[in-house]
Amino acid sequence: MTGPLQDWKGQRRPFAAIASLPVFWLALFFVAPMTIVWLYSFGQNAGPADIDISGTLDNYKRATEWLYLSIFLKSLAVAALTTLICLIVGFPIAMAITFAAPRWRPWLLLGIMLPFWTNLLIRTYALMALMGTNGYMNKGLGGLWEGASWLRTLVGMQPLEAWTPVQLLYNNFAVVLGLVYVHLPFMVLPLYSALDRMDKSLIEASLDLGAGHFKTFMKIVVPLAAPGIVAGVMITLIPALGAYLTPDLMGGTESQMIANVIERQFKRANDWPFGAALSFLLIYAMFILIALQSMRTNKSMERG
Amino acid sequence: MDFKTFLHAGSNRRAMLKGMGVAAVGFSLTGALAGCGEKDAAKLANGEEAKLNFYNWDTYIGETTLEDYMDKAGVDVNMTLFASNDELFAKLRAGNQGYDVIVPSNDFVERMAAADMLTELDKAQIPNFKNVAPDYQDVPYDPARKFSMPYTWLALGIGYRKSKVKSVPDSWKVLFDSDEYKGRIAVLSEAGDMFRLYGKYIGKSVNGLTDADLKTIEAMMIKQKPNIKSFHEDNGQDLLLKGEVDVVLEYNGDIAQAMVEDPDIGFVIPKEGSQLNSDNLCIPKGAPHPKNAHAFINYLLDAEAGKKITETILYPTPNDAAKALMPAEYKNNAVIFPPADILAKCEYAKFNPELQPKYEEAFTRVRAA
Amino acid sequence: MMFNRTAIAPLEYTRKLWMRSWVALTLLFLYAPLIVLMIFSFNDSKRNVVWKGFTVKYYEKALNNDSLVEAMVNSLTIAFLATIVSLVIGALAAVMLWRFRFPFKGLVEGTMSLPIIVPEICLGVAFLIFFAKVDWPTDLPWPLNLSAITIAHITFCFPFVAMVVRARLASFNKEEEEAAKDLGATEWQAFRDVLLPHIKPALIAGALLAFTLSLDDFVITFFTSGPDTITFPVKVYSMVRFSVTPEVNAASTILILLTVILTFIALKLQGVKGIAETH
Repeated sequence: MTGPLQDWKGQRRPFAAIASLPVFWLALFFVAPMTIVWLYSFGQNAGPADIDISGTLDNYKRATEWLYLSIFLKSLAVAALTTLICLIVGFPIAMAITFAAPRWRPWLLLGIMLPFWTNLLIRTYALMALMGTNGYMNKGLGGLWEGASWLRTLVGMQPLEAWTPVQLLYNNFAVVLGLVYVHLPFMVLPLYSALDRMDKSLIEASLDLGAGHFKTFMKIVVPLAAPGIVAGVMITLIPALGAYLTPDLMGGTESQMIANVIERQFKRANDWPFGAALSFLLIYAMFILIALQSMRTNKSMERG
Repeated sequence: MDFKTFLHAGSNRRAMLKGMGVAAVGFSLTGALAGCGEKDAAKLANGEEAKLNFYNWDTYIGETTLEDYMDKAGVDVNMTLFASNDELFAKLRAGNQGYDVIVPSNDFVERMAAADMLTELDKAQIPNFKNVAPDYQDVPYDPARKFSMPYTWLALGIGYRKSKVKSVPDSWKVLFDSDEYKGRIAVLSEAGDMFRLYGKYIGKSVNGLTDADLKTIEAMMIKQKPNIKSFHEDNGQDLLLKGEVDVVLEYNGDIAQAMVEDPDIGFVIPKEGSQLNSDNLCIPKGAPHPKNAHAFINYLLDAEAGKKITETILYPTPNDAAKALMPAEYKNNAVIFPPADILAKCEYAKFNPELQPKYEEAFTRVRAA
Repeated sequence: MMFNRTAIAPLEYTRKLWMRSWVALTLLFLYAPLIVLMIFSFNDSKRNVVWKGFTVKYYEKALNNDSLVEAMVNSLTIAFLATIVSLVIGALAAVMLWRFRFPFKGLVEGTMSLPIIVPEICLGVAFLIFFAKVDWPTDLPWPLNLSAITIAHITFCFPFVAMVVRARLASFNKEEEEAAKDLGATEWQAFRDVLLPHIKPALIAGALLAFTLSLDDFVITFFTSGPDTITFPVKVYSMVRFSVTPEVNAASTILILLTVILTFIALKLQGVKGIAETH
């Protein structure tokens, strides 16, 4: 597919031209600020607004207690579920855009992106208005229920019992729905980007040779779209893990995610060192995963 | 430079950078021109620019207060908004980004004073201090009013929907210890306030909780959690109005505003007593216009200006002169001004740096349970 | 059109009914809250909980609200600048990682994905402290005073762009580039005329992503903004503390319309088809 990687030494000028800006920006505007916070994670509060960097590991010890680990695992589960739903819903959308007539393609793409240019907070409140106890979703469901009940009386059966609104909000269901709502385009875009480049004749060939649509899909389309799927999963899972506004607004009393806890340390608890320690534990874990994955990719690219 | 050129021909890196450079220069020129206009704004007699940066809660000012002040003093007040004390504190912790007047609550006045983040007020520049009610001229969280002037005061209590409750919920038991309104309860998500109010429920003072008390309260909270629908972030009155919940832990001012929209809403301070809060005007260290700041605070304490503010926000006011100008329905409103016998049982929360982290950790445990 | 209207070819998935229904349902799910939002911006009620009557007074209020308009302008400006710079840095980063082998590559790659992983509040606090410690000037004229926020936005946007571009690069056939060079093209010409057109769909996707992320960002912007540099999400967040008034809905509707119009203009200049063409 792609050629072997070039060694930078053989191409110093192009390498310098390409690499200098990203690396410089990363170093100055990301590594430097994060280093300060990383140092804080080894410190403790010395008064309401000062931090004394004493090299202590207390914050990390506290961050690895079961209380916080359990919250982290729960957040991971919620984020994974969100990503899975986004993948299942988003893949057909990406395919629809790819196979649409060229005339329609940009409009579909735009159509998917447009809701996400609305402010997240407003969108969430609008979604909550729909999902509330007296919101339109419940009203709609109530209407259907009453309608079914009336139909039953028509045919002589007992009517259904009175409609009580379903609790669609302030629980884990609402959090997952809200997260899917926010992260769907982040899944669709990379999928589309990868599917777009796929050689369509391979699908035609597979269908010609007698494989059904589903088999073609699983054996040809999915493997070819794999880099897009991986990108999409990464772009969805990780922000979903760090989401705090949606669980905060739409969640119930048992929907506490790790980002909410971290936020609380930086704000209410005014315990920046501990918040830093929690954040960095999260970061270390993800960093290791990604580094492993990229080392694997690099090795396979070097071979191929 | 249109999109097409940018993406295709402009892909030569040098050309792209050149293009961006031109755009950047163009931007800064127009910005500089606009900036020039601003900087030539009038200098006041006190030597400062005719500008003020006011960092306030939303809808916490009269409809015309800022325009009135512009007419009176010729100072352009730029009001930006924050949504919670923690945000205010977190932002100002690292340094003042240009705010002149801020509005922290009482416990944060203590905290910020302890962290050396506030300027001492020069009372000579605030003659309207005499309008402040005697109770508020000297308070436990700011003795002799060194750093703050009172803006409003509030009390926590129970807001409820009259048609949905069996009787007036005049005890914290309804929110904290009973499943009578299972699934129709909302309480605050602020750990400190929650623990302190539970303390009131079990008969202690808000500032006198021991570690053993914390354990007891934590267990009670976990037991009550299945009955609670939501830990709201100060939008309890909305939940009540929308019909999501029937009883809610909220501030009297918020519920008073809600009662205007919906007469089926009521408010009561439970018989065990409650917590008092007060929002105050302060000047953070490093404010660029301290003299303007003093003059503005003085203006807010004026009787007429105070009256206009109170008409809009309907919160209890510590400004006696303004209160005198308000209509009778306001002065006699039992929700806004609770009866004295109940008020006697209400206390201010003291900022306690040792207990606060314990509250937070315990509350995290409650939420994870 | 090669296929006549009555028969659906095997590859024309989009014409199949189930596919169309799926897309329609998803679009309904995505747009329903927005439509509710727009309808309620005409609601004649301060608290906007129940429908009380039709009015356009909140649009007047929103347009006359100087700070709200300023916030919208700031948000759009920052998003625009951040998108352009993120595209450049992200594309360069993707090419760098895809093409070269160099020491510490794994480390650089990992670090580049970090802005996506770091919890926003942590990144926000990091920027707050960083800009305070380097004494970043706070009284620059517009738009330079947006520089702190823009830098922060670029930093967390470009890794997303890099990721999307990399996914696209994975399918690039290096031989095309070799062939161009064999035929006498310089390094730059090969880059510009062979590689760049290939990654164009990814650049468009990346630009859309970066623009969205920047326009909507609240947490990081909150910590890097000052009294003169309010952005729309920050302003809205502080306004909804009491309740969501129709004014906020009206302002959001205006922002959506503005963004749509700007996009249409960009599309017209670019040529609508160009956005999604395949090679």
